[in-house]
Amino acid sequence: MILPAAILFCLFYLWPFVNGFWLSLHNWDGFSDPTWAGLSNYQRLLHDRVFLGALRNNLIFVVAVVILKNALGLGLALLLDRALVGRAFFRAAAFVPVTMSFVAVGLLWSWIYNPVFGLLNGALDLFGLGGLKQSWLGDADIALYSIIVVDVWKWLGFHAVIYLAGLQTIPSELYESAKMDGAGPLQRFRHVTVPMMMPIVFINTILGLSGAFVRNFDIVYVLTKGGPNHATEVVLTYMMSKAFQDGAMSYAAAIGYVLFLIVGLASVGLLALMRRQRLDV
Amino acid sequence: MGGVAKSLPVVDDSERRPRRLGVRGLLEVAGLYAALTLVLIETLYPLLWVLFGSLKTKEEMLSNIWGPPSSLVFQNYADAWRIAGMGSRIISSVLVTGSALIILVAVATPCAYALARLRFPGRGLVLAVAVAAMLVPPQVMAIPLFMVARDLGLINNRLGVAFVYAATSLPLSVFILRSFFVTLPADLEDAARVDGASRLEILIHIMLPLIRPGVALIVIFGFIEIWNDFFLAFLLLRDPSVQTIPLGLVSFFQQYDSLWTLYFAALTITTLPVIVVFLAMQRQFIAGLTAGAVKG
Repeated sequence: MILPAAILFCLFYLWPFVNGFWLSLHNWDGFSDPTWAGLSNYQRLLHDRVFLGALRNNLIFVVAVVILKNALGLGLALLLDRALVGRAFFRAAAFVPVTMSFVAVGLLWSWIYNPVFGLLNGALDLFGLGGLKQSWLGDADIALYSIIVVDVWKWLGFHAVIYLAGLQTIPSELYESAKMDGAGPLQRFRHVTVPMMMPIVFINTILGLSGAFVRNFDIVYVLTKGGPNHATEVVLTYMMSKAFQDGAMSYAAAIGYVLFLIVGLASVGLLALMRRQRLDV
Repeated sequence: MGGVAKSLPVVDDSERRPRRLGVRGLLEVAGLYAALTLVLIETLYPLLWVLFGSLKTKEEMLSNIWGPPSSLVFQNYADAWRIAGMGSRIISSVLVTGSALIILVAVATPCAYALARLRFPGRGLVLAVAVAAMLVPPQVMAIPLFMVARDLGLINNRLGVAFVYAATSLPLSVFILRSFFVTLPADLEDAARVDGASRLEILIHIMLPLIRPGVALIVIFGFIEIWNDFFLAFLLLRDPSVQTIPLGLVSFFQQYDSLWTLYFAALTITTLPVIVVFLAMQRQFIAGLTAGAVKG
């Protein structure tokens, strides 16, 4: 009964995974004979400034996106939790971007960021803030952050909905007794909501974390293709351009492996932390 | 709740029922809804803007950036459909997503059932591999995946790509389905076994109808994932004649980036159906999502 699944898995999951490692230890353009290269591809990566820049961008992206999604998602969930009338409507509206493809979201935002007639610069003009107008995707200093905003916009509703479900499992007696003890709204948030929500924070962080490492190709490719001058290059966009523009298949495979190691370590670390926290609570 | 309220009669529950309050409470509610309205604008206005833009003439697009169109130019849709080759893209997307989901359910269900119910050597190993695989996102092995697909002759082959998609969704799906099978009582099956039904018959006729919510869950997740995917399609579907909607949108955008209104029309055509499906089944959707996540 598990045979069909095993075949499918081995062919398109396990085999590429193993084969990728073999590939990364060779030099191969994909057509001629591969030659043994040992760890030289990995050594080259350590001195590849574009790769190191992409790695740095990728880490900024992950940290910013995970923090913003959690903070804003929890904020939105708290608002939704208090809204007695129209909660389902607001919740559905906030969730709509989650159902859109990265490509549609990216293309939509490339119009919003358009320096000439884009919505964002237009809005700044409207509120008399014309001085803040930017070339949002063309300026190397801010392009990465513009992309981060787009990713947060797309996923906010998803994390808010999960937080909302978590908030609704907190018994109201806890709030009432905290109030009896004279706790104000902020103290109740700090001493009731936050501790009760820790498991949900971990879930949201795990969901956001693994996505933020590897779900950024589409959005970066559509918005900037990694430019200007690699300012928004992330690991996956660099891997793809190495493989399909430069034909450096084995070097690209090594990039994939390094990314896997980082994602794997981050996930395992977080899971270990989560397990420990569970025991403490 | 009733017991607590009785023993603590002074507790005022105003926080949870703001409508009963005076000026301060009213201000609070007003602030709450003002904040929610801001979120609503931030989320929905860009989408509305695309819808408006898709119905304007090119000139009006520049003169009237913000508002609704003064007249409805449906011609944009016809042009976008034709120029972007929407018809064949939609067929490709339906073909790829549909076959991938059928393969996924057909392969994942028996595997999840076996893991939940049968004792066989290596069961623990299979389970461990499924969990480990969830830590390996398919994106990191894109290059070797491309090589394997090329060696098997699956590049530009829509059915072949469907198998790849099914494989990438497999570990999580098996895991979800298994958790549904585990909750079913064993008596049901034992009764059928006594009547002489085989394992496969039991699975199809007795178990499958009972885990419909689980199957619905993996189909909904799989649908959103595969229908919207750009990365793997970009990797494996290189020939324009077999490309799916996201690929078509990007190449349309790159070739005709001055045809804004058509562009917005194309974006609306591809985005609206998914949003409508979501709104129609949002209750099941959000319930399934949060039940899985909050239970952990």
